[in-house]
Amino acid sequence: MNVIETRALGKRYRRGWALRDCTLDIPGGHIAALVGPNGAGKTTLLTMAVGLTKPTAGALTVLGGEPPGSPRALDLTGFVAQDAPLYRNLPVADMLHVARNLNRRWDQRRAEHRLEQLEIPLRQKVGELSGGQKAQLALTIALARRPALLVLDEPLAALDPVAREDFLAAVVAAAAGDGISVVLSSHVLAELERVATYLIVLTRGQVRVSGTVRELLATHGAGLEEIALRYLRAGLPSSRTEAGQ
Amino acid sequence: MTARTIAPGAGPAIRRRPVPWSKLAWVTLRQRRALLIGGGILLGVFAVYMVVMAVIQNNAYAAVTACHPAAALKCQQLANSFSTSYWGGGAGPVIAGGGAQTVSSLLFAIPVLLGAFAGAPLLARELESGTFRFAWTQGAGRTRWTISTLVLPAIVLVAATGAVTAIFWWYFRPFLADGQVSEMLPLAFPLLGVALAAWTLLACSLAAFLGTLFRRTLPAMAVTLVLYIVLAMATALGIREHYAAPATLQGWNNGAVWVISSWVKAPDGQVLSQSALNSLSQQLPPSVQNSPSPDAFTTWMTQHGYTLWQSVQPDSRFWQFQLTEGAWLLGSSGVLIAGTIWLIRRRGA
Repeated sequence: MNVIETRALGKRYRRGWALRDCTLDIPGGHIAALVGPNGAGKTTLLTMAVGLTKPTAGALTVLGGEPPGSPRALDLTGFVAQDAPLYRNLPVADMLHVARNLNRRWDQRRAEHRLEQLEIPLRQKVGELSGGQKAQLALTIALARRPALLVLDEPLAALDPVAREDFLAAVVAAAAGDGISVVLSSHVLAELERVATYLIVLTRGQVRVSGTVRELLATHGAGLEEIALRYLRAGLPSSRTEAGQ
Repeated sequence: MTARTIAPGAGPAIRRRPVPWSKLAWVTLRQRRALLIGGGILLGVFAVYMVVMAVIQNNAYAAVTACHPAAALKCQQLANSFSTSYWGGGAGPVIAGGGAQTVSSLLFAIPVLLGAFAGAPLLARELESGTFRFAWTQGAGRTRWTISTLVLPAIVLVAATGAVTAIFWWYFRPFLADGQVSEMLPLAFPLLGVALAAWTLLACSLAAFLGTLFRRTLPAMAVTLVLYIVLAMATALGIREHYAAPATLQGWNNGAVWVISSWVKAPDGQVLSQSALNSLSQQLPPSVQNSPSPDAFTTWMTQHGYTLWQSVQPDSRFWQFQLTEGAWLLGSSGVLIAGTIWLIRRRGA
């Protein structure tokens, strides 16, 4: 099953096309890294996948054929937007309660357990948390919803190195422990190299390469970062792995 | 591929029932808690003041009405002192403040203040701060979330301003009973009946709509303020009098009534022009011209066959007018709320 499937997907904003003719299959069971420079269309693709934006052209389904934003897709997709937007004026406990009341599926015990392990006090206001704590809280909320698909948009951008390490460890644990498919974007591949099992390189609104890390390493005989860099530089559409294989 | 293979236990664990409104209501109320407390304190202080003054005024007015005979000097003095003490403009007790005039003019600002402060941030804050990306990707879905976010504060505002109206009515009763003020007059009508709540609802819906349109709280508040004042003025000065065809009254003293226009007819039935009326008043005998009592003028005019005609909206139409105004304000608010939901549904991130 493909957790994200696009056919000739395009999105045009007033300033131009953010994503164009994007055909892509991201299979389930992976930690898929969506890599590309700033402005490549990563956020556009992810916001369409979670139903925040509608495509201008083409088709997009999630979780094996669900239209994004449908009740079922919303139920099964955990999303953490860039900078982990949460209600800053609420205490952590109330933020959890808000999320709990906005969802049918919710695992309160798991959320509280996680926050306890992370030593994030429930009485603290969200706005007073450090960047790393805030990202972890957003992840905790997304995981407490028991999603089948976890979508993270630039989750590491605002974090210091230690917080990045902790955050990625939590993502890997969730993916391995609960069988959650993860799609996360970043403009820096280096930090995803050790965790990603699937790689998509996106530049200027187009997919340059898409495939499992194992395949890519075997085909190219180089490090993942080097492979990605090659595609980022050249952006040759002819060398991309065919979608749907 | 069936959905049940997505994740272990994912299929059966999902209830088809959407997230209940009560849970969404909790979220909305929790997020508006500061506003509820702040607005509640503001209105509460105002309400307590009006209740205290209502008791004092109604007692004082009872003394005025109990005084017999009403024409006696003692009773006239009592009535005058009631008016100067509590209506305003005179040296009343300190607790009366500026009097009922001041209280009612403060009350005029309540709908637009409450509406703009409560309504503008409802969705604009989410769009400004990016938290809509959280709110709209939860299981409840953005439409239900938006409906809860808009409708619940609207209900709370309507209930609160309805309660304020009830207290104000009690507070204001002596002046209405006195015949000093018609409840149809623009200075009283929007504060009575359903009008205060309906205008608050309109201000709130307008602010929420503009907040969504602009994606900014402050511009939405500012534009709401301007549009509201324009609409309220237009309604008071031009629109409201057309809810029903005016009635025509004849007579020199019709008491406190909402007069749309008036004219004087000569004994031959001709309507006097303004210039004819001016020259007539200059030709009046000095005893009439110099008399301090306005009755001297009307008595003279009546004796010489002049009649005053007034086009009026009588007090008996109060509820008809209230319901007409309430209906179009409610309708407009409904359109604005529907428009806001439409904007949110089509809005991209």
